[in-house]
Amino acid sequence: MNHGPLIFLAAFIALAGSWFGVVLTPQLNVGQLQQTNTLNGALYPVARPGVAQQGLQVYRANGCVQCHSQQVGQTGTVFDVRVTEAGTNRVALNEALRKVKTGVSAPEAEQLLERLPLDVARFTNREDAEAAVKTLGVGGTKAHFLVVPVGPDMARGWGKRRSVAEDYLFDAPALPGGVRIGPDLANIGVRQPDINWHLRHLYAPRSEVKGSTMPSYPYLFEKRRAGREASPDALALTGKLAAEKGYEIVPTAEGKALAAYLVSLRSEAPLFISPISVASAAPAGGDTNAPAGGAGAATNAPATK
Amino acid sequence: MKVTTNQTAIMDVAEPKAVAGQVPVWLFVLGFVLLFWGMYYFDQRSGWFKTEVYAPYVSVADLQRYQPPTGGVDLGRGKAVFENVCALCHNPDGAGKPNQAPPLTGSEWVTGSPARIIRIPLAGLSGPIEVKGQQWNLSMPAMGAALSDEDLAATLTYMRQSWGNKASEVTPEMVKAIRTLLGNRSQPFTAAELLTVPEK
Repeated sequence: MNHGPLIFLAAFIALAGSWFGVVLTPQLNVGQLQQTNTLNGALYPVARPGVAQQGLQVYRANGCVQCHSQQVGQTGTVFDVRVTEAGTNRVALNEALRKVKTGVSAPEAEQLLERLPLDVARFTNREDAEAAVKTLGVGGTKAHFLVVPVGPDMARGWGKRRSVAEDYLFDAPALPGGVRIGPDLANIGVRQPDINWHLRHLYAPRSEVKGSTMPSYPYLFEKRRAGREASPDALALTGKLAAEKGYEIVPTAEGKALAAYLVSLRSEAPLFISPISVASAAPAGGDTNAPAGGAGAATNAPATK
Repeated sequence: MKVTTNQTAIMDVAEPKAVAGQVPVWLFVLGFVLLFWGMYYFDQRSGWFKTEVYAPYVSVADLQRYQPPTGGVDLGRGKAVFENVCALCHNPDGAGKPNQAPPLTGSEWVTGSPARIIRIPLAGLSGPIEVKGQQWNLSMPAMGAALSDEDLAATLTYMRQSWGNKASEVTPEMVKAIRTLLGNRSQPFTAAELLTVPEK
């Protein structure tokens, strides 16, 4: 019996199927990914600075990805109703508040209203949140709802929204990681923006985080004879860690690049595909930008008389 | 060859034969139920392979429901559009430019009736106009016609609430209503015509 063609066909279908599923479909899906606009209208993502771009290779070479992930998960989204400004009709507002937030007595509600902004309630449904905002908007009260992603990772403070493909657009290779022996680093630049903290932490993790299990990376630093004045790069170390007198510990180029990479890790921009409320941009005051009446009139000469 | 009784007994047992057996009906039913469930699950959760759809959202429509409300709260969007589209002539600080565009700061046209200010970017404005006591005679193309209702509303709100201007918000619904009213008008407005537009 000659099963050759059949075996060939079966093998071909199996391989072609997985090629379609594992290679072609993802390529069609995110292969053409480009910069996008955030909900604020800014471009996202922006390329990392050059030194941080090099830091990615240091991150990769030192196997940081073996213990740290860079992806935040999300299980759902809720709506938080917030009162920012109490209107003139305090009694009506009190009543409205008790309608939205049941099980609160009038004096308790009054006490709550003392401290604004006040997060009144949390809804899973947009319509309910909108209704609550409407209920609260009595007598010029200002209320709105916030879109808040939730999940275990948000509860840990590792991010405000889930990670999306755009977050890795300028990373080659993308290093989302899969193991969390250490904390997630998708937003480490937001949580800890101090580059010197990162350098000290890389040199001696236990000096900054008690009980940390991270290995130290002394070879990203060098000890050298201090000049008359300490160099600006020198680590501010204390106690046993500090170098002996006349010496200082400075990061090498790799160390600086890695720290720059870590502070550049921030994936918090509000995107259409991963919506989240942002702190509202304070209305531009005008006091600073508006030209004084006289000066403005002088420059804005009329076109024709 | 002599055959003993014992061996005969063994040989008498019928050999197994391959015959077409009946597949139980419940197996088919189970198969179809599973298939239906699988399709339903896929339909509900896959987002149909849309690039925009990430868990926990299930479709673009669902994603739309979770977008934070615009307008009133967020002047960032309006600022971004303004700086892209309007700032070239009107200056990023809204002060205008001589011989190019009148100022927006403190302009009674900007802070006045929303019905009038919405019409200007939608259809353009040409001819003499008085802004802050000064005469201008320029022509502005319909810069806002290509913007979405939300973008234009955000931009106008930004103009009305920035640089010391303190006027009410412009909502996408207001823009939409006026856009529908204008239809595909290509004739720019004149100041005199705008003044005939009722304030409300």
